[in-house]
Amino acid sequence: MASSSASVRNVRIFRYDPQKGGEGHFDHYTLEISDETTTTILDVLLRIQREQDPTLAFRYACRVNMCGSCGMVINGRERLACKTNVSHVPRGQDIALRPLNHFPVIKDLVVDMDPFFRKYEEALLFYEPKEEFAEPASIRPDSRERRNIGLNTECIACGCCVSSCTMCRYHEGYAGPAALNRAFTLLADSRDGLFEPRLTRAMASCYNCRTEFNCTEVCPKEISPTRAIKHIQWLAVTHRREQPRLAAATGSQESAATPASQAGKTDRRTFLRQVCVGVCGVGSALALGGVASIAAVGPALRKTPRRWVAIAKLADLPSGLATVMMNYEVKSGIYMQSVSTPVLVSRAGGEIVCFKSSCPHLGCLVRWDGASERFRCACHGGTFDRDGKVLSGPPPRPLDRYVTKVESDQLFVEVG
Amino acid sequence: MSTEYRKPLQWGEQDPYRRENTAIGMWAWLAQRVSALAIVVLLALHVVLTYKPFLQFLLLLMVTFHAALGLRVILLDFNWVGVKYQRALIWGLVGLGLIVMAATWLSIY
Ligand code: SF4
Ligand code: FES
Repeated sequence: MASSSASVRNVRIFRYDPQKGGEGHFDHYTLEISDETTTTILDVLLRIQREQDPTLAFRYACRVNMCGSCGMVINGRERLACKTNVSHVPRGQDIALRPLNHFPVIKDLVVDMDPFFRKYEEALLFYEPKEEFAEPASIRPDSRERRNIGLNTECIACGCCVSSCTMCRYHEGYAGPAALNRAFTLLADSRDGLFEPRLTRAMASCYNCRTEFNCTEVCPKEISPTRAIKHIQWLAVTHRREQPRLAAATGSQESAATPASQAGKTDRRTFLRQVCVGVCGVGSALALGGVASIAAVGPALRKTPRRWVAIAKLADLPSGLATVMMNYEVKSGIYMQSVSTPVLVSRAGGEIVCFKSSCPHLGCLVRWDGASERFRCACHGGTFDRDGKVLSGPPPRPLDRYVTKVESDQLFVEVG
Repeated sequence: MSTEYRKPLQWGEQDPYRRENTAIGMWAWLAQRVSALAIVVLLALHVVLTYKPFLQFLLLLMVTFHAALGLRVILLDFNWVGVKYQRALIWGLVGLGLIVMAATWLSIY
């Protein structure tokens, strides 16, 4: 039974020696593993340290996914060494172990988690009740509030999420998924007395999230920090009015808030306000414009009665192709509009055909091109032959024709 | 004897198998940024070189991607769709976008 998952695996481990410095490199080991499904990556590390290389440094404590010390990058993904089995690493791949991103490397797989906990603390990670409670608060597990906070309180501060989030690299001041997740669990708690300063701090970095979901993908506790951040963004929008007050509250309560960061917050606030004004302005302009144009255009869309317009004297029409301007007035909405449009007249002996000059594709002006003996639309290159049939390009149908008549030596076309 | 910390490693730096393990949400993010740049370039080309079906097709395709992925983020931002559906949203919205795009394309040509 055990033999089915027994194997020899290549292991690549990142090595960095603080006394030598440099970029670090990978060392290669091979290890016989009797049962991949019951051997964790932490077991692998312990065995290599014991059997092959006592200088190997890594961190662990609980061995049962509770302390969060053994977070590292295992084959291109942040995981806990004690929670990952060798069988989770595809057979074809080496086992590749490397320290977490975004933290200074102390030695081999051990990183300095100070920046992580500093951000955690800056998010005001502790709970402070609004009022003194004589009795323990009773929290109904099925209440909406408790369900919303959910299992996001289960964070073990392993740093996997921060390592996986590429935005932590590009935004110095970004609190990162773990700290914002912590802030969320308290912001969503109605007993919490530090709502305002906490929100002000969380708001300063909640927009650095680009919704990549890397943190959610890697969290060994299956927490979604993304959900937490979305909640904070939502609070930022719904508490827009309180924001001046919020900033003031932080200013007086928290001496840590530097003038520079306050200036930053003011900028953000002004910016948000401008965005709101902008959106409202554009919105109402669109609404007004919509109403006005419906009022103006609506009547014009109603069928106007058809009528005849004289466009030329027969005697003036050359045989072959001619372009004639047609002028007439039409009642459009509340005013009379004069229309002036070219008509393409083709005369062959006694037969006269009048084409509309607007292209059946998108309505650009069609002209007769004597050189190539065809009608041509300049916009998208549609061409038509002498009879209006499409020769090339996007037009979906031949040139439209007017209904015509000849009366007392005048050529009329029907419009309407 | 000096002891120095190594400067922090970055995503993808000395990072074996990272590419295969990149989560779909990250690709969605990247695809949206790339399509945004593509739209800027293709739009300029579209204005300069009118009526080039190939160009129009590419432009429409990029707009489809950009819009679908943007809608996904909006839906997630306002919690109109729960974060647990983030992957389904990618396929769903991009698929829907492509259908709409195909319909648009066929109705024009
Ligand atoms: S949220 Fe998850 S991945 Fe991030 S530190 Fe906490 S337990 Fe680790
Ligand atoms: S050793 Fe404690 S979580 Fe892995």
